Amino acid sequence: MSSLSAGLDLGASDLDQITFRELIFAHFREKYGTMTSSTSTATPLKHAFEARVAEIKSPKSDINALILDYLTMEGYPKAAAKFSKEANLQPQQEDPSIRARQEIQNNIHTGNIEAAISALNELDPEILDKDPQLHFSLLRLQLVELIRQSNGGDISDVLSFATRKLAPRAAMNSDFLQDLEKTMALLIFPHDSLQPELAALLRSDLRRQTATKVNEAVLLRQTERREAAIRHLVKMRAWAESTARSKKKDLPDRIELGLNGEDNDDHDENELMITT
Amino acid sequence: MTNPYQQQHSSSGFGGAGTGDSSFSPSGLPTPINQHRSTSSYASVVSGAPAGAASLSGRPPRASGGAFSHLLNPSPDSSSNDMHSSSNLYGSTRTSHLDMSALPHPYRNGTQGGGGGEQEGAYIPGYSSGSSWPPPTSTRLGLPWFSRAFDIYMNKKPVGIGGFWGGGVGGGMGEDGYNTAQTPQLGTILSPSYLKGSVYMQKLEEAHRAKFLAEREGHAAKSQSGSAGGLAGNMGNGHHHGFQMSKLPAGSHRGVAFELVEKPPASSLTEEDDSVSPLPSKWNKEDKDGALEVLGEGYEVKYTGRSSSDHEACAIRADHYMPPQCGVYYFEVLILNRKREDTTIGIGFSSRTVALQRAPGWEPESWGYHGDDGNCFAAQNVGKSYGPKFGPGDTIGCLVNFRLGHALFTKNGDELGIAFRDVNFKDVKGKLYPTVGLKKPGDHVWVNFGQLPFQFDIDGYMKKQQKMISDNIRNADTSKLAPPLNETELIQQLVLQFLQHDGYVETARAFAEEMHVEKLALNLDPSAEVEGINIKDDEDASNRQRIRRAILEGDIDRALKYTDAYYPNVLRDNEQVYFRLRCRKFIEMIRKEAELNLLLEERGGKGGTRGAKYDTRGEVDDDEEMMDTTEDVDDSYEMTAAGVSKLSQEALAYGQELRVEFKDDLRKEVQKHLDEIFALIAYPNPLKENDVAHLLDRAGRVAVAEELNSAILMSLGKSSRAALENLYAQTCVLLEDLRQDGGDGAFVTVQSVIDDVPKSFLL
Repeated sequence: MSSLSAGLDLGASDLDQITFRELIFAHFREKYGTMTSSTSTATPLKHAFEARVAEIKSPKSDINALILDYLTMEGYPKAAAKFSKEANLQPQQEDPSIRARQEIQNNIHTGNIEAAISALNELDPEILDKDPQLHFSLLRLQLVELIRQSNGGDISDVLSFATRKLAPRAAMNSDFLQDLEKTMALLIFPHDSLQPELAALLRSDLRRQTATKVNEAVLLRQTERREAAIRHLVKMRAWAESTARSKKKDLPDRIELGLNGEDNDDHDENELMITT
Repeated sequence: MTNPYQQQHSSSGFGGAGTGDSSFSPSGLPTPINQHRSTSSYASVVSGAPAGAASLSGRPPRASGGAFSHLLNPSPDSSSNDMHSSSNLYGSTRTSHLDMSALPHPYRNGTQGGGGGEQEGAYIPGYSSGSSWPPPTSTRLGLPWFSRAFDIYMNKKPVGIGGFWGGGVGGGMGEDGYNTAQTPQLGTILSPSYLKGSVYMQKLEEAHRAKFLAEREGHAAKSQSGSAGGLAGNMGNGHHHGFQMSKLPAGSHRGVAFELVEKPPASSLTEEDDSVSPLPSKWNKEDKDGALEVLGEGYEVKYTGRSSSDHEACAIRADHYMPPQCGVYYFEVLILNRKREDTTIGIGFSSRTVALQRAPGWEPESWGYHGDDGNCFAAQNVGKSYGPKFGPGDTIGCLVNFRLGHALFTKNGDELGIAFRDVNFKDVKGKLYPTVGLKKPGDHVWVNFGQLPFQFDIDGYMKKQQKMISDNIRNADTSKLAPPLNETELIQQLVLQFLQHDGYVETARAFAEEMHVEKLALNLDPSAEVEGINIKDDEDASNRQRIRRAILEGDIDRALKYTDAYYPNVLRDNEQVYFRLRCRKFIEMIRKEAELNLLLEERGGKGGTRGAKYDTRGEVDDDEEMMDTTEDVDDSYEMTAAGVSKLSQEALAYGQELRVEFKDDLRKEVQKHLDEIFALIAYPNPLKENDVAHLLDRAGRVAVAEELNSAILMSLGKSSRAALENLYAQTCVLLEDLRQDGGDGAFVTVQSVIDDVPKSFLL
């Protein structure tokens, strides 16, 4: 059994793998003819939902537009350029802001908040003044980064930054104050035994979230769209499924996206081999 | 045109004849409180109705929007982008008119000479009569304002579409006069503004179009054989201008059929298509009490019988029920009675089981709001106090919200609050029809089922509903779609998988690289290794990409060669794909010739070939874009008339070859498609013809390339769809389920997501 699956994985390319599999299945079908027929009946019938999905056209031009929109909006300029070329889309005039946004995102991802703020000011001098929430999020992240750097050592920089930049803002807004307090608690507790809520602040997720927020804010001001259309579509899919389930619509237990591997048939086939 | 009134005002002219601002108000009719709203009242747009209706008549053939907006929307300050989408002439009228108060109002007929009509009258050819509302002569003639003499205005049906359509396009294209030939007209369907863009409307339009095509098919069948013969006959001399338009299947140049084949609207669902119920559009003469009479075009009802006893009323229902799939349904009723004290009218909705001798609301499966006491009745004899009384000149609107299970009424554009709540309208056994009940002789109403804009801001109401849903969507939890991936990771995977699946190798690499940079940046632990994503050198993917590129560049021969070499079985097993490729080659040949022709013209200035009168307006831009990217005009052909003629001969020869090869294929769609593309030969330069240029569109390459790609993937035993495409299709089906009974799904479409993407990202 294991030798068989090992053999499968050794296939040099997809094509070989498939031919190899077909050979093996043909072999098993011959040997255990009854067996295969029993598995085929065991394979659950396709749910009516799946059949309807198969009927729906998903026009490539729509999908291509989604992809290009995503690559452009979320800051993947190289991929966007390649895609325009490979998909033979109309050559896009490169939006200079795509690189600027990517640079800002990258600065935030690496924890270089100061650089991010100055690049952001250069791109859109008004944005932070107009959006105190966004400005506070960035400063708070900067505080977290300072705390991370201090790592139990000298915290005078941290304190001075907090009093100078964050405290005046927090005084005006109770949410800000709460966030500030939570962040300052990082100074008191050892970082390896934090409550989950505090530990979350030190994970890279905070950087990513903040970067996304900044990107969305810039996009909203530039294009009046907050997010790439694909994000909207993914949310719509999630919302539609949960709403349909709450309305007791007839759906399969799980609606697979098909992200991993080509399809579920592979599964069945593997299971077949395990049972033998 | 024998109507004396009409003659009178067309002769008196409009702009000058108005009485300016003198606010004469006959029969003490209420003037609207809100001037802004009054602009959306009926008559202010009666003048615009025919023109607006033209834009409602489904999608115009591609690219003809330019010609239209030129005609309809000449004033520089009115927004022309509304013209393409199927409604808002009204909207743009509203915003572009400078002085709202100067607009005529229906219920104060003839009291104000307005700028509105004048503006439109001046620009829309053939609508001078339509634009002369309100009839400035009516009071002088002594006719009451509600006289049936004005039915012609009130009930202005968009009958003018045909003439307008032909005239508009003909005027826009001008030069060859092809369009002066009579072709069957695709009529219009009722399309209330608030349902614009909904899947329900899309389906109605599709059904309408399908019916139209089916009918036309009958006409075309006769001339079809003639068309094929015509082509063959003309092939010999290579001089294809001799090809007569009259031999084409009627209307084939309009390309409607092709659009349906090429790209049906994304969200169309085969299952539901058959059962899409039309909107209420008129009163039903077969479903009324005997004392009532339906007048005019079917919008007006009058009590003409003797007076009834206290317990009775006389009801009439609309021709169709209010379809729950709309989510929200709305109609308005204008009370035309002469005398206030005699007005006893109930407005609402009921199922067909309800006796027509009862006012709406008195019986089970019946709901109504009554004007004599202002009460509302929910399936019982006893009403409850609800709103003001209503009478002559009032417009009462009735709104059913299937999603929230409630109904409300409006009076003269103002919402009166919820009348009936927690009613599961969709669970009512019978379907619900708009209904009015009249009680006294002289009771007289006119209904707006959406053929004209409403007084109430129903579009705004609809937007609020849509916003509620889109807020829910924005807050949706995406973490359960593909655990443990969060939303950002999931989207990255979806994109990456799509790129690999479809063979965009270079893009996948670049994307993986940029994702890797991102990961590195986010990494907090310097000692940890950040794994890059290894995009395998997938020979298969590169082969598919090579084939795709060839098609996208218009080099069909190269694509055929590669496909034969790498996947010899695919074309044999997928006849349909093979056929499409062969046809595309023909199209590319025609395209090449047409492009060369354009180049020649540019060089030779006006002295060149036919079509020199070709002027530079909107639709030319496309062509120029194409010119910029003419990667496929190769140098082997000299840019001379000789080169062009050589190309055209080759195209003809190849066309003949195609005809022979597929002559035994009797499938309708095959022959139809062949006819369609052969028709291209009939045009001096098809790129310049709005009606057919889309056949040459680059988008057609994408479609063919993807069909072939899918076929190859299937032959390799791989899923023909990437996860992102699955997600797209799943969302369509889920929304469809949520739409069935007027639920949340009625307020969102997948198309709206795609429409958010800037147009430049689409082909």
